[in-house]
Amino acid sequence: MCGCGDRHAPGEPTPYDVGRAELATGRRTLLKAGSGLAFSTAALAAGTGAADARSAAAKTRKRVYVLVVDGCLPEEISGGQTPHLFDLMVSGQRFAKAQSMPIMETIPNHVMMMTGVRPDRSGVPANSVYDRKAKIVRDLDRSSDLRADTVIERLNRRGLRTGTVLSKEYLYGIFGTRATARWEPFPVLPITGHAPDEFTIQAAMAMVEDVDPHLMFVNLGDIDRYGHADITGPLGAKADRRLALAKTDTYVQRFVDLLKSRGLWKHSLLIVLADHSMDWSTTNRVVSLSGPLDDDPVLRGRVQIADNGGADLLYWTGPTAQKDDAVRRMLRIAKAQPGVLSAHDRRQASLRLGPEAGEVVVFCRSGWRFSDPDPRTSNPIPGNHGHPATRPIPFFLNGGHPSVPRYAASPLVAQTVDVAPTVARFFGLTGTPRGGWDGTARI
Amino acid sequence: MLATGSAGAALTAIAGPTTLPAADALAASERAGSRYFQHGVASGDPLPTKVLIWTRVTPTAASRPGSGKGPRAHVTWEVSTRKDFRTVLRRGTFVTGPSRDHTVKLDVDGLRPATWYYYRFGFQGTHSRTGRMRTAPAAEATPTNLRFGVVSCTNWQAGYFAAYRGLAQRDDLHAVLHLGDYLYEYGAGGYGYGQGDVDIRTHDPKHEMVSLEDYRRRHAQYKTDHDLQDAHARYTWIITWDDHEVANDQWKNGAENHQAAEGDYHRRRARAHRAYDEWMPVRMDGTAALGDGDRLYRRLTFGRLAEISMLDLRTYRSQQVATAAPTPVPAAEAEVSDPDRTITGDAQMRWLKESLARPQPFWKVIGNPVMITPVTFAQLPADVLAPINDVTGLLPHDGLPYNVDQWDGYTADRLEVLRFIKDRHIQNALFVTGDIHSGWAAEVPYDVGNYPLGGTGAVEFVCTSVTSNNLKDITGTPARTTSLAVEQTILANNRHIKYLNFDDHGFSVLDLNAKRAQMDWFVIGDRADKDTPIRYSRSFISISATGRVKETDVPLHRQKPGQS
Repeated sequence: MCGCGDRHAPGEPTPYDVGRAELATGRRTLLKAGSGLAFSTAALAAGTGAADARSAAAKTRKRVYVLVVDGCLPEEISGGQTPHLFDLMVSGQRFAKAQSMPIMETIPNHVMMMTGVRPDRSGVPANSVYDRKAKIVRDLDRSSDLRADTVIERLNRRGLRTGTVLSKEYLYGIFGTRATARWEPFPVLPITGHAPDEFTIQAAMAMVEDVDPHLMFVNLGDIDRYGHADITGPLGAKADRRLALAKTDTYVQRFVDLLKSRGLWKHSLLIVLADHSMDWSTTNRVVSLSGPLDDDPVLRGRVQIADNGGADLLYWTGPTAQKDDAVRRMLRIAKAQPGVLSAHDRRQASLRLGPEAGEVVVFCRSGWRFSDPDPRTSNPIPGNHGHPATRPIPFFLNGGHPSVPRYAASPLVAQTVDVAPTVARFFGLTGTPRGGWDGTARI
Repeated sequence: MLATGSAGAALTAIAGPTTLPAADALAASERAGSRYFQHGVASGDPLPTKVLIWTRVTPTAASRPGSGKGPRAHVTWEVSTRKDFRTVLRRGTFVTGPSRDHTVKLDVDGLRPATWYYYRFGFQGTHSRTGRMRTAPAAEATPTNLRFGVVSCTNWQAGYFAAYRGLAQRDDLHAVLHLGDYLYEYGAGGYGYGQGDVDIRTHDPKHEMVSLEDYRRRHAQYKTDHDLQDAHARYTWIITWDDHEVANDQWKNGAENHQAAEGDYHRRRARAHRAYDEWMPVRMDGTAALGDGDRLYRRLTFGRLAEISMLDLRTYRSQQVATAAPTPVPAAEAEVSDPDRTITGDAQMRWLKESLARPQPFWKVIGNPVMITPVTFAQLPADVLAPINDVTGLLPHDGLPYNVDQWDGYTADRLEVLRFIKDRHIQNALFVTGDIHSGWAAEVPYDVGNYPLGGTGAVEFVCTSVTSNNLKDITGTPARTTSLAVEQTILANNRHIKYLNFDDHGFSVLDLNAKRAQMDWFVIGDRADKDTPIRYSRSFISISATGRVKETDVPLHRQKPGQS
């Protein structure tokens, strides 16, 4: 598995299924928006809460829009290919050296954006993990998987309105009902588990008009999804991907145009970034660790692998007394495989991944991917991320609020985990999460 | 302050207010000092709180460079933020003598980051000329921009150092990078001006430098050039060597221009390195001290905006591949891709990877003595080439190179560097290069046979020579005639190369900010004319994080700092 398709136990409803069921049972309230779109809000909050929020909203006209161009490479933002994004980048505050954080996957980096803390504090280190209690490899897509406070909730507590427009089912799942309003992604494409950007941006625009959140968190998934499936990627052509880039670029501009026409732009901070970038591999450059690990007499049958495309997480399931020996064996075997860039004891301080990431973290080289447990069928797609080659991301600020620098560039290294403290500072939120931010405010 | 101890000892004191010499007294003192300080002053290797300063004292007429004669001498030094030295921040005394050819080299510490300072030396009641130096920005600083003069290949016999004059006349640089071939080893008539190797000025000694005395005298001669002295006094320099500081086409165990009759090569190189350490404002093995090692590759950090990794691509490299035909005929020898051959050596390769992997520097500048960009013919994509070579082992990895003295002759090392960059998607690797007596701007492809689809791992800007012969000089043809055809042939076969100028001499100016890197090329007229004019030529930029190069029509002198 690449870690990007939804993965659940057979018959288990996805969080997306659960969300729609909540609507049916009345535990959530559906707000009918324009264009036939629907947003849900917590049932109790729908009436009085909305009024309270509107009252609180009068205190600030500031707005923040976080647009995640999922899977975009920094060098893909260019005047020829994405002219509108390029103009936003150049005319605002750009961080040309920005990074996704390990594991360079969608769910953990969106969680870092909204929590401002690293996975060892949020409990969300990867898309796919081995759930030791359930004894299954699954996606971290349950709202309860996220243990840390989010800036969404911090704003809610201040009486400000928040909204999530997340194109991917598992993002919808993990952020759950935290926002004042959330879009029910639709239509969701089979296999990819995401709504096309055309619909996502319509939803974002409708939410601006009907809910007007102070903070809106939007994931545009097409660039990532087209990238995953682009068979011309390994050749460098990236034909499908380029099409997605061009389309998403126009959607972003449409969104900005709406903000300007509604008079919101002059009060706004727009944060555009990616959660990770993308790398492509051919079918002859696949790493599968399950076989070599099973060849070891100590490890055989006692290691679970959570395949995250460019990163494998290895979990020791044998006796605790043998764990240190098992870790040494896993590291040695992994490092010996062609296509493996590095293998790390998960407890390595700089990784900051937490126990949910298992015992050993293995990254592949550029132009390779993992396919575990089956070397042929588990991950057949050419586009992957999760490994260091996919760490650089675009990251820039724009917007009409006077605090947004104009035509500025910084040599500092911005990271996905910087988004929450940036949002907090913009709104003037006092206090920090217990233990402080792991990120840095970039405004 | 008096000092005791052996030659090379330095004593430092934090100074308080001092007596104030009047401007005319200062000038008189400097005039008198010119008798003792005949080789100028220099500063080098700037750190946030430390800069190395250098001079050479001639205490007696007999104390000629390389002579080994003369007394020990106590040389004072002072550092101030004021040109008139009304207040002196740091001062001390340095004891030198014939054992170190009467050179003075020491680290001044306790300075403030990103600050201009003035320095001078004193002897027998006189003073040297005043030099100006600048510390690097603090480690966490985010300077708006950094601007460097860039030069290489300064052959005394081939003409005058007008390019140094051009640098000294500027007021917008933070430092000067010299990429090697600071001096040449040849004797009179050995390598001079144009096809006939005419000596515009004749080397001292007149024979090829081989002995320690030879190397010292040659260094001393170069340091008497007024343009060179002005440029050293004006800016802090960051310098590496290429081959001619020892002998042409040197490698770890020999050189093209070293013959058995000239003795043991390693002893010759040790003498060359000793003289270099004495006479150049560089830290070898990380110190200003002599005799403690000759490792020249080193890093210099300029806040968060840039880090410069200066390479030594001569001391550890394997011998160049012998080719069936001489340069520039494309070489078909597959040995250029032999993985057992190296241009960096193992330790320096590990160190270079550490430089590239460091997370904070925005621009990872590599001071690179020879070109890394492939300049080759008949390239094939790596995926096509690999199975062919599995069977035949006959073809170089990146096409047929025209110059195997460059990284093109060591493609396994280049591939290792580029794979390291690609595996980590390292951004903003910028090679700044000399050696080849011509100006280039290029992208460094991961797979030259699959450019541009295969992506690029770095960009490279190459400055031309200050005086050393270029293509028109070698062919004896007018500018923009023969060279044009060669340039077009190379460009047509190497689409990753965006600029090539085989005809001009001069210098470059490199400007870095968080939006882009830009190099401007300046060219001179006739090298034989001491007063030859200098004019702006071309500008190329690399937008940050793109790994691409393109021309711009807005030179640096028409921009504000930080502009893109």
